[in-house]
This record gives sequence, structure tokens and C-alpha cells, in this order.
Amino acid sequence: MSARSGSLPRYVVQRLLLVIPTIWLIVTMVFILLRVAPGDPVSAAVGGKLDEAALDARRAALGLDRPLIVQYLEYLGDVATLNFGQTISDNRQLIDIVVENGGATLTLTLGAFIFALLVGIPLGLVAGRYRDSAGDVVIRIFGVVTYAAPVFFVGLLMQLWVASPLGWPTSDIASPITKFEVEPVTHILLLDAVIGGNWDAAWDVFQHHVLPCVTLGLLLCGVFIRLVRVNVLQTLKGDYVEAARARGIAEKHVIRRHAFRNALVPVVTVVGLMVALTLSGAVLTERTFNWPGLGTQLYQYLIARDYAAVQGLVTFFAVVVVLVSLLIDIVNALIDPRVRY
Amino acid sequence: MASAGVMIASLAACGGDEEGNGGGGASASGEPWILGTTETVTSLDPAGSYDFGSWNLQQNIYEQLLVIPGGETEPVGDAAESCEYTDPQTVECTLREGLTFSNGNELTSSDVQFSMERNLAIADPNGSSVLLGQLKDPKADALAEGAIETPDDQTVVFHLNAPDTTFLQLLTTATTSIVDEETFPADQLLGDADVVGSGPYKLSQWKPGEQAVLEANENYEGERAAKAPQVFVQYYSDPVPLKQAIQNGDVDIAWRTLSPTDLNDLEGADGVNVVKGEGSEFRYWVFQFANKTVQDKAVRQAVAQVIDRETIAQDAYDGTVEPSYSIVPPGFAGQKNSFEEKYGQPDPEAAKQLLDDAGVKTPVNLTLGYTPTRYGPNLVDEANELAEQLKASGLFNVKIEDAEWEEYQNLYKEGAYDLFALGWYPDILDADNYLTPFLRDGGFYANNYSSDEVNNLLDEELAETDEAAREEIIGELQDIVAEDVPLVPSWNGQNVAVARDGVQGVEETLDPTYIFRFWEISKE
Repeated sequence: MSARSGSLPRYVVQRLLLVIPTIWLIVTMVFILLRVAPGDPVSAAVGGKLDEAALDARRAALGLDRPLIVQYLEYLGDVATLNFGQTISDNRQLIDIVVENGGATLTLTLGAFIFALLVGIPLGLVAGRYRDSAGDVVIRIFGVVTYAAPVFFVGLLMQLWVASPLGWPTSDIASPITKFEVEPVTHILLLDAVIGGNWDAAWDVFQHHVLPCVTLGLLLCGVFIRLVRVNVLQTLKGDYVEAARARGIAEKHVIRRHAFRNALVPVVTVVGLMVALTLSGAVLTERTFNWPGLGTQLYQYLIARDYAAVQGLVTFFAVVVVLVSLLIDIVNALIDPRVRY
Repeated sequence: MASAGVMIASLAACGGDEEGNGGGGASASGEPWILGTTETVTSLDPAGSYDFGSWNLQQNIYEQLLVIPGGETEPVGDAAESCEYTDPQTVECTLREGLTFSNGNELTSSDVQFSMERNLAIADPNGSSVLLGQLKDPKADALAEGAIETPDDQTVVFHLNAPDTTFLQLLTTATTSIVDEETFPADQLLGDADVVGSGPYKLSQWKPGEQAVLEANENYEGERAAKAPQVFVQYYSDPVPLKQAIQNGDVDIAWRTLSPTDLNDLEGADGVNVVKGEGSEFRYWVFQFANKTVQDKAVRQAVAQVIDRETIAQDAYDGTVEPSYSIVPPGFAGQKNSFEEKYGQPDPEAAKQLLDDAGVKTPVNLTLGYTPTRYGPNLVDEANELAEQLKASGLFNVKIEDAEWEEYQNLYKEGAYDLFALGWYPDILDADNYLTPFLRDGGFYANNYSSDEVNNLLDEELAETDEAAREEIIGELQDIVAEDVPLVPSWNGQNVAVARDGVQGVEETLDPTYIFRFWEISKE
């Protein structure tokens, strides 16, 4: 095996090893930040009802009165053994939260990505191809606005201006009846409805996805538009494009086969970077649309100062971001021969 | 309620409605309906919760020994045919015949004892075992030796640690819900999806933070017969989507908690009705006695003399709350408007006289504290309004400070504010629930107010079995509060829901208990 072809596996191993300190750094930061912030799970739950002695008794029952270093080491031990335990505020197993609520976040983010790709890439290509035209200006403004506008604000506008006139659902992942009827198999509601052959339920779930996915997708859309446009402009200046033109290839073929294709390669890299952006956007989108995903859970547990839940969920998010980034790097190396590590 | 040491709550006082609904098994023939709420659920196991959202479901899934019917304040029989004091420290309850849980298991006095015993033994940090203090071993998280006797399957005898006239009210709360000893573990909580009760509804689906589905319990034979075969409870993370849901018809009822602004928006909207009932929420401003500024009683009295509650209710809450003139809200036995009697209408001149007589230099510097993250979005308006009133009197220089709830709790105990806002919902419908937690040795909020006279009166009213005599003591305590002013009452909230057209029974359940009686609600 040559040195060049062997560099990727070595890189993968290095990256995998780097995951460990990355996760350690994140869980440590989360642990410290949660403790530095005022309050604790007990005061958040019953602080306005019980006297200090009763509150202290509850803190002791939860082990919150122990030295921080003891709590920290215990937590690190749990993380190392993949034992995330259960939440403090409502006694749910962390793994149950990820399984039961992760499906909603997954379909939301996937839907948003699909929307962003379907809308953002063509618009970016058009804007790059017709640089400085009226269409380019409009698309650029659209891209800047969708990227800059807060997700919760766009979500509210969607609910007021789009959902209400069209009679589309404004919140949640499905109607109560659908949630009741669909048997959980994968805990991905849309998929479960299809597996169960309940097409009415599947349509209901799909309808509920439209607004949240579009809202989150618009945020990503702005990034894709700007990225693809810039790449198209650069590739159009490339020597190989000039060479193609010089060979007498029709302009539409030059654009499609040479400029556009090459302009899309960096998108794969950016998709990896955008996972973190998407997840943070998902937290706000879920809250706006009362979406029963991990973002909503994280928010609720933050309010409840539920140390175990927040630490567990943030760790899960961190692992997802790190692993997806790694995966994207590998894919990028495979599809682009120029990429070397 | 009888005097001479015997208070009784009996099934005879509760007999279903005139149409014959109630008693003799469930006849749930109506339409399913959907409730939307922003409340959260900690646990469906009665030993693991101390919050509205959990208690609300538990009241519908479980039976308690006693229950408070809609619109009433006195407990009547639920699982018990009757409960009565045989002496000030002993309560004897007789269970109804033929009680069963929704899984078919028999419900006996042993289950009642088991329910209380495990609640105390588990002592869950999120639980409300603290309310069972009258049955607790003072030295351990356990039932006191001999605190509960079960001489036969139908009889439960409670021996209290001290005389307590509020115990029958306690037996209506969700913390005393009766659980199946063959299903629930004795030393740990049961998973939410597995809970079993004997109430009018049983849990058929549970998606935490998302949805609960309840179905009429066909084994239920009591007075709380379900009118709807199925009830969906939808949980919302925020009032905004809840308001949209009720407007769009995604839910049939929105209950707890829409803001006063939302409620005013919905008044008169097509297809929805804002239904208001009497509430027991209490908003008040507490003086921190550790701060020198307010240690002079005249300063505190001057604030009580200046505050214009009508304006606060109108301007800060759009008239959706009622001005409060006592530490005990209206409707409770022994309640009197002591602050109104003592101070009359807002009067800066009278306040100035109070300060002058005490030799207090004016203007007095006062720091007001509030939190924007616990008691709704309108508290900031209330704080500003009160500050303006105090400033306008010319007697006070007011500085307003706020902090996020978690930080706020520490700050008000540490004396960061001279006067700080808090809110309260009662655990039980008894005037004492507004007195003992607030007044005994600085109260739960640690404001350093302490009075031997007050402590003695609190002991007396808890032990007093003669109703008239007890009301007199409660009145005396309210007068002392108006005189000493450890706190200034601000307003009492209403119990408000928004219902779609065609939903019936909502008005009947909106009362100071804040129990949302699913069994009373039907949909055309």
C-alpha cells in the first residue's frame, strides 16, 4: 500500500482517538457551567415552596451536597462506562430520551437538510451563473436574510402567515389521534406510520413536518446559497473550464458538467460543519413548534437544572457532531482525489 | 363539619348530578376531548411528584380517601365512605365496599397503609412526602410506629403526631393517592407508563412531555363517573403554541397557563370561550427583616398604606386578577380583609403621618426585587407599577432589581431586596396553608420575621376543633399580619381555562382546588 493510499486510515484512527479528549473537554465544560450557574434541580422544582432545611435534605438525597470533585469523578466514570443513568427531574432513562425523542429531531433535521439542498443549491448555482444580474441580487438578499433571521422569528411568521391561511398544522409532530394510533417500532413516527400501513397517519405526520422543516431549512439554505454561488464563480474562472470552452464544447455543457459539478464538492465538507448549526437551530425550531425532539427536551431539562439530563444530552449531541464530522471528512476524501491528510 | 371534636367527611354529601351521572359505574358515552397545557409532569407515581402537572393526572387516575367536588371546599368521600376525627389526633376512615383497581386487584385498607408508608419511605426528592409529616417518624424517613392501623379490610385509622384539623383536607391531595401494593414497589418509584389506579380514568398511553391518553376505567364504581370515554392531554413547551392550538381547534380546552394578554385576545374570538372560576393563587410582596431599612414597622405599614392594588390588577394584569387584602384569600373559613380594615383606601398622606409619627426620615430608600422567570411575564409590570406608586407618594426612593429565578431565591434570602415578590398556590384548601408556611419563624422564604405570639396562635388554630373558635384565631392572625406587615398582599388569581364551543363542564371544575376534573368534562 502506498503512503498516499495509507494516509486515510491513519487519519481516521487519529481522528477517532481525538474524539476522546474532545468529548472529555465538552462534558467537563458542561459539568462546570451547570454548577457555576445559580440554582440546582431542587431549588428549580420546589424552591418557592419549602424552607432551606427541607431543600437541603432533598439536595442531600440527590447527592448534591457532596464535594464537586466527587460528583465530577463519578460522572466521568459513568460517561466512560456509557452509563448515563436517569434524569433527576422526571426519572427517565437517558437512553430512553434519546430513543423516544431522537426520531423527531432526526426527521426534522433531515427534512431541513433536504429542503435546504433542494432550494439552496439551485439558487446558488443560478446566482453564480448569472452573477450581478437582478436574479443574483434577489437570491443573495434572500440568502442573507434567511441566514440572519432568527429561527424562532421565522417560525412565528410561518405560523401566522403560512399555516393559518392554509390550515396547516402549527405545532407538534402529529395530531393526538395519530400519535395514539401509530405503534412505535423505530420511534421515527413517519417511518412507523408507513411500516404500519397507516397512510392517513403518515400524511398527517408529513403535514406536521412541513413548516418546521422549512423554517430550519431556510437557515441552512442561506449557507448553501452563498457557498455554492462563490464556488460557481471560482470554477467558472478555472483553467479546465476555459480549456473546455476552447475545445468548443457548448456553454451549457461546460456549465453543467464542469463548473456546477466541481462547485458542489465543497458542499459535502460544509454539510459536516453544518451539523452543529443544524442541531442548535433545531433546539429553537423545536421550541417554536412544540416539536417533541431532543431540543425541546434539552430546553426543559435546562430550565429544571437537571444536571444528569443536560450532561447526557449535550454529550450525545457532541458525539453526533464529532462522528458526523469525521464521516464527512472520510466521504470527502473518497470523492475528491485531491484531498489528502 | 361538626364541632365538639368530630369533623366528618362522608359519601352522603356527594351524590352525582341530577341527570344521574355519577355513581354506579362509568357510562362514558360522549366524545373524546383534548386538553392542552404548559404544565410539566414529574412523575405519575404519587410518591414522586409535588407539582401541578403530575397531581392533575393523578387526581384522575387514582382515588384518594376523600375528594373535593367541583365548586365546593369541604371534602367528601371518594374511596372512603366516610372519614371522621375520633379525637383531635385520630382520624378513622371506612372504605367503600367492592373497590378495585383498574387491573382488577382488590383495593383494601392495606393498600391505603402501603401507599402512605412507601411515600414516606421513598422520600423522593421530587416528591411531596413532606406533606405527610403528621404520620412520619421524626427520626427517619418512615411511617411512625403505629401511625396507621388497619383493623379490617375496610377500616383505616390514622394516629397523628399532633392535633391537626387540616388532615381531612390532606386526604384529598394527590400525595395520598391509593396505589396497588401488588403493583407498586415499596422502596422505589414505579415507571410512569406502568402506573395503576382505581380512579375514573386509567392511563392508556404515556409519551413524556408530549401526550397522555386516558381511558374511562370500567372498574370504577364511585361518584366520579367519567363522561368521556377517552381524554387526550397535550403538553406544550410554551404558551404561544398553546394559544394557537386552542384557536385552531387542535385542542378542545387550554388550561394553564395562558398570559393575561393571550386571554384578553381570546375573549370574544370565534369558537372559543374564556371560562373563569375562583382561584387560590396568591401574589404578595415580602419584607426582608434582616435589612435595616424595613425593620421599622412604620416603614412597612407606610408601604401597605400606599399600595393601590386595584390599579395593579387593572394596569399590570388587564383586570384578570382580584386585589388581595389579606394573607388568606377569600373563600376560606376565617378569612377577613384585615389590610382593608386597617389601611382603607390607598392614602399617601396617612402613610406620611405613619412615618412622621415614628420619626422616620423621608424619602426612605427601598430596593424592590422580582424575578421575570417564574411568575409569568406580567410581574415586571406589577413591580414597575408598585415602584411608581411608592415614588409618587414622595415617601420612598425606589430601586428595582430583578434576577433569574434560581439566583433570585438566594438573593432574597441574603437580603438583596428590602421587598420582594413571590407567589403561592396552596397544597390544601385550608387557611392554615397560607399561614404556617409564611409566618412560622421567618416562613419558607426566610424573611426573618418571628413572633412567639404568632407561633402560639398557629399551634392553637391547628389544634382547635371548634370551627368558630378556629376561625377567630385565623382572623386574629390576619390582623397581626396587617399590623406587623411581614408581607403585603397584592392579588388573588383566578382559575381560567379556554374551551372550544361544544365542551361542557369546564366551569364546574374551575375552583380554588385547581383540580381539573376530567370526569366532569364532556364534548358534544
